[in-house]
Amino acid sequence: MKKRLIELKNISKAFDGEAVLSNIDLYIHDHEFMTLLGPSGCGKTTTLRIIGGFETPDEGDVYFEGERINDLPAYKRHVNTVFQKYALFPHLNVFDNIAFGLRIKKVKEDVIREKVSEMLSLVNLVGFEKKNVSLLSGGQQQRVAIARALINEPEVLLLDEPLGALDLKLRKDMQVELKNIQTKTGITFVYVTHDQEEALSMSDTVVVMANGKIQQIGTPIDIYNEPVNAFVADFIGESNILDGVMLKDFCVKFASHTFDCLDKGFEINEPVDVVVRPEDVDVVPVEKGMLSGLVTSVTFKGVHYEIIVDIDGFKWMIQSTDYVAPNSVIGVYIEPDAIHIMKKSEFSNMFGDYSTFSDEMDHLSEVPEEDEE
Amino acid sequence: MTGARKYNGPRRSALQRFAAAPHIAWAVLFVIAPLIFVAYYAFTNSADGSFTMANIAAFFTKEYLLIFWRSVKLAFFATLICLLLGYPTAYFISRCKPGTQKILIVLLMLPMWTNFLIRTYSIMTLLQDTGILNSLLGAIGIKPLSIIGTETAVVIGMVYDYLPYMILPIYSVMSKMDHRLIEAASDLGCNGFQVLKKVIIPLSISGVISGITMVFVPSISTFYISQKLGGPSTLLIGDVIEQQYTASNYNMVASLSFVLMVILIVGLAIVNHYTDSDDGGGMLI
Amino acid sequence: MKRFSKIYIAFILLILFAPIAVMAFFSFNAGESTAVFTGFSLRWYKELFRNSNILNALKNSLILALTSSVLATVIGTMAAFGIHHTKNKKVKGAIMGITNVPLMNPEIITGISMMFLFVFVGGLIGLSTKLNFGTMLIAHVTFSLPYVILNVLPKFRQMDKSLPEAALDLGCTPLQSFFKVQLPAVLPGILTGLIMSFTLSLDDFVISYFTSGTDFQTLPILIYGMTKKSVKPTLYALSALMFLIILVLLLISNREKSTAERMEAKRLKAEKRRKEAILRAQKSGKAPRKEKADETKATAPSHNRPIYLNKIIALVCVVAIIITACVAVSITSRQTITLNVYNWGEYISDGYDGSLDVNRAFEEYCKNELGMNVKVNYLTYDSNEDLYAKLSTEAVSYDVIIPSDYMIARLANEGLLEELDFDNIPNYEECIGEEFRGLYYDPENKYSVPYTYGMVGVIYDANIVDEADTGDWDLMWNSKYSGKILQFNNSRDAFGTAIYKLGLDVNTTDAAAWDAALTELKAQKPMLKKLVMDEIYNMMETGEAAISSYYAGDYLTMVDNQAENVDLQFYYPENTNLFIDAMCIPKGAQNKSLAEVYINFMLSREAAVANAEYICYASPNSLVRNDETYIEDMGEEAIEILYPEDFDFAKEYDANCYKDLDPTTKEYINNLWNDYKLYHNTIPAEGEEESTSPNVTWLSITILILFIICIVTIVSIIIIKRRKKHKI
Repeated sequence: MKKRLIELKNISKAFDGEAVLSNIDLYIHDHEFMTLLGPSGCGKTTTLRIIGGFETPDEGDVYFEGERINDLPAYKRHVNTVFQKYALFPHLNVFDNIAFGLRIKKVKEDVIREKVSEMLSLVNLVGFEKKNVSLLSGGQQQRVAIARALINEPEVLLLDEPLGALDLKLRKDMQVELKNIQTKTGITFVYVTHDQEEALSMSDTVVVMANGKIQQIGTPIDIYNEPVNAFVADFIGESNILDGVMLKDFCVKFASHTFDCLDKGFEINEPVDVVVRPEDVDVVPVEKGMLSGLVTSVTFKGVHYEIIVDIDGFKWMIQSTDYVAPNSVIGVYIEPDAIHIMKKSEFSNMFGDYSTFSDEMDHLSEVPEEDEE
Repeated sequence: MTGARKYNGPRRSALQRFAAAPHIAWAVLFVIAPLIFVAYYAFTNSADGSFTMANIAAFFTKEYLLIFWRSVKLAFFATLICLLLGYPTAYFISRCKPGTQKILIVLLMLPMWTNFLIRTYSIMTLLQDTGILNSLLGAIGIKPLSIIGTETAVVIGMVYDYLPYMILPIYSVMSKMDHRLIEAASDLGCNGFQVLKKVIIPLSISGVISGITMVFVPSISTFYISQKLGGPSTLLIGDVIEQQYTASNYNMVASLSFVLMVILIVGLAIVNHYTDSDDGGGMLI
Repeated sequence: MKRFSKIYIAFILLILFAPIAVMAFFSFNAGESTAVFTGFSLRWYKELFRNSNILNALKNSLILALTSSVLATVIGTMAAFGIHHTKNKKVKGAIMGITNVPLMNPEIITGISMMFLFVFVGGLIGLSTKLNFGTMLIAHVTFSLPYVILNVLPKFRQMDKSLPEAALDLGCTPLQSFFKVQLPAVLPGILTGLIMSFTLSLDDFVISYFTSGTDFQTLPILIYGMTKKSVKPTLYALSALMFLIILVLLLISNREKSTAERMEAKRLKAEKRRKEAILRAQKSGKAPRKEKADETKATAPSHNRPIYLNKIIALVCVVAIIITACVAVSITSRQTITLNVYNWGEYISDGYDGSLDVNRAFEEYCKNELGMNVKVNYLTYDSNEDLYAKLSTEAVSYDVIIPSDYMIARLANEGLLEELDFDNIPNYEECIGEEFRGLYYDPENKYSVPYTYGMVGVIYDANIVDEADTGDWDLMWNSKYSGKILQFNNSRDAFGTAIYKLGLDVNTTDAAAWDAALTELKAQKPMLKKLVMDEIYNMMETGEAAISSYYAGDYLTMVDNQAENVDLQFYYPENTNLFIDAMCIPKGAQNKSLAEVYINFMLSREAAVANAEYICYASPNSLVRNDETYIEDMGEEAIEILYPEDFDFAKEYDANCYKDLDPTTKEYINNLWNDYKLYHNTIPAEGEEESTSPNVTWLSITILILFIICIVTIVSIIIIKRRKKHKI
């Protein structure tokens, strides 16, 4: 059993009467890479700030190695943060920024020099000591921010959407680099992001949050394969989410068709949410299909085609490596292990139909978040 | 959106809470209290300090109203001329290359860093009957002008002294204006005049308002300019206040100041309330 | 269009710089004029560095500017920090409202309101000098504060909100976080605020004018006093020098900005190059090289001066200049006791043009003979009434004053004068003749020692004025010379001219006589060029005005300095005022015995002759009257004007001096004088007066109301538009 480093017990927090977090329970283990994932406004950043000591919870307790630290100010916690826009000190150069924490602790100057150069090589910034931080590129600033936090040898490093301001290519590189740093140093990372791909590829544990509540905690594989509700299913990857009825164990009915599945333990005729991942749907000729529908749009995505099929008024998304012509009628086939059954939740009927889907929409929805800063 | 984005600290530290206290105390003691004294002296008589409306009533007599009217008139013309001269200047400067803009703004500010009294005095030596302007005119055979001592001279002095106060705020708004807006407007079919009317002027209105304030207020209350450039019949409200002060007629000083202040503060408070407060900062540098 | 805009900007700059160019040009004038250039010389710059008054005022200004700007910056920065962290919008609005009051209020009101406070509070706690360095400091901090806050607050707003948190995160206490992180981040704003409040304070006249006392005179106050007289190019030299210093400072601090810009441009270029390299690499099919390698190369060679370093350099320069100036001044004059002397303008020999600097000579005398370090703080006033106003408010304290006879009587009656101890003034016996003792204003010779005496006469420019029109007071009412006439800017002298013109008694208590005089003055007002005191020198010398009445001695000064095309002449009308100015010590003097030593020194031959030659007034001092060099230096004509032969002084004086009138009459004259000042009528014809002025009034009131309505409409339109915008 790994050591529980940080525990959040029954944390609630409200701003101006508006609940931001309600009854959060969370454990963070030693040497773990944990990601808080969720859309903007879900409370993930607030959770991080409670751990960092920048907010105090209205209710509940925060424990660090078993000690209650609710009232411990930020500067006394063994936790360091990499801020969203890095928050580098503009009046200090790279070296002085990184050395800042140690200087506050009155560490000897020669020790500082040694440690800073160690850090600089860790983040691949050797030779940048004397540079003005405001003249660095985004990626470089990011690295300085990480080095500045890591040099204090915190037990936990908190990262608040650290890659949010970088362009895609750089982001991918930095993901790898961050993961490497975490492995090398063995420090616990608590990572906040709204990018599910980032979360899945880097984390040991993913915490999916929505509306101030934790929806699911688990490994990336669990989260992807066994989402607990429609929200998680929709937020992590692409999903077709349909209303269904559990006729009996291993048998579910949806889209006016009865399917075999691998799930059990539901009541007879219980209404459920059914998740089918787009890549798990096979395109077959109409006569071989379990269902059939009209192809409304086909988009080439590089690795595969994204096909939107109208089956009895519900728009399915199918990812297939084979091309089908728009406006043709195709059949679809779904294996029993491709079907995942979830209990009904507050998120039912909110997601799943791709009738208004577009890439741009997805992208646009993230913009307001930037504006608020 | 939701409250989660409000990254305010959980509680303000004592430092944050009380940092403004010295300033507030200072402002109350040395800004608000003195104004209360003005009001106090304005409504009492000098002999026994009892309440009286006589001082205020004195303001509303023919002589003072005439002088006040003259002050308003001259300040108004000075402001108008400053606006007419300053607005195009600010616009042209904002269209220059950034480097040139810097230099021009420094050049505009330079005269302001020379003592205002000496500047006004040297205007006087320029304008007076036997002054430089007239000797230049004489040299090219034009009849000398008699400007000094007239209201015109006072307005010239005001315009000269306060023109930079008009240009700088307008410029600071215009320089922040996105020049693509003008291109966009022309793209959408505006001609030169329409661009000016529909885009440039509405966007620079806050600068214009603060420029007007910054010229009008010192113009209406000046006494040095009218003392040096004016004559016996260009007395302004500022002159009267100064004269009453020299004669230690404090109650009259207070009442004149009080009325002037009330009129200006009410007007300005309304204007200021609806003007962006951020524009005030760094206006001069 | 491009060309037009260039020409336009050039035109505006030309307008703005013309007076400054004039100023700089005339600072090199060999002559004394600020309007006629007679040749190139550096004499005014030399004069400047010899003029201890100017240097002292400069030092005072710098000290005040430095202390007030530092204080304002500290308080303002803290305030900006506090305001930035105030979350309650209403509280924030209220604080900003108070902060903005000094910005919106006219300076004159800010100054006056503070003067009220200081005088009132000073009276409560019983200070002898209610206005002093402290009050000025408070005033300057008050008007600088908003500028500091307005410069610093936006910097706090612009600062990344997580910066202070990052500092806490890295182990700073809140206090450390403020000093180590937030303060440096807003430093550019603080420096701008500091520089701004420094220059504002250095340049401020209006607020200083109302809040300054005697002991601490700043440069603008001194300049104000000097521009009331004939300005010598010394002031221009000073301004030109200060202009140069500020130009250099601005250039330095501007270079810094452009350095930052260059660095930014370099960075952008590097980024672009990097992106291009990646693109090329991708095109050529190779995997893009590791980013950092590119960046290392692309970023400019490290050139790492913090951006605001130059601003600091500029500031250090300023401080260095100040310190050098202060040290220089304090080395030349390390004084301990300050003697406040309050005198008329141009009324003492000040070392100008090789004359004896009497005040410095007195300081030397004290040092050598008495072993005391004395500093004479010499201040000037414009008229007896000014002097009285200053004394009666008790806001300031002086040691020696030199009022005229009627004012001495008034001050003595009101108990505002100290009795002199003539043991300390041994020269009195020897110097002051019998005819100058026991005069009405000081019948027992208790309060005063005569300084000068003289008569009022009429000065005219013979090139303009017809000889036939001269000879009596009517010349000053002659409409032929309308617009060329000057009148006294003090009630007693101005009414005097009218009373003499009417042939009445100048000391009458008959209100009707004064009313008649007022009517005369009002009739004269439209013909006047200006009401003047010492400005008269300049205006008569240059030919700006052609007719005026003034004190005989001053005529001699004017003749010496008159311009080529001016031919000043002088005559005494049949009846005219005779006056004596005498040295007194006011109640509340800080150094009474030293003041007596000063008075005694002024009677000594050396000082008295120097003064008499410099001022050109008749001297009651027998040492002077009998001094041969003096008679020779002044010339026959001057002696004749100053000391007319067959002149029965006692009789004339008794008939024509101004006496201290009873309070009712004084009050009455005061009101008439006020009335006269406010009086405005461009139409000289008397008959029309009654019918036109009410119409003019109503017309102007109507226009005023219309104007106010206009403003209100404009404002409400703006408000409505803004409201709409906000809704959208």
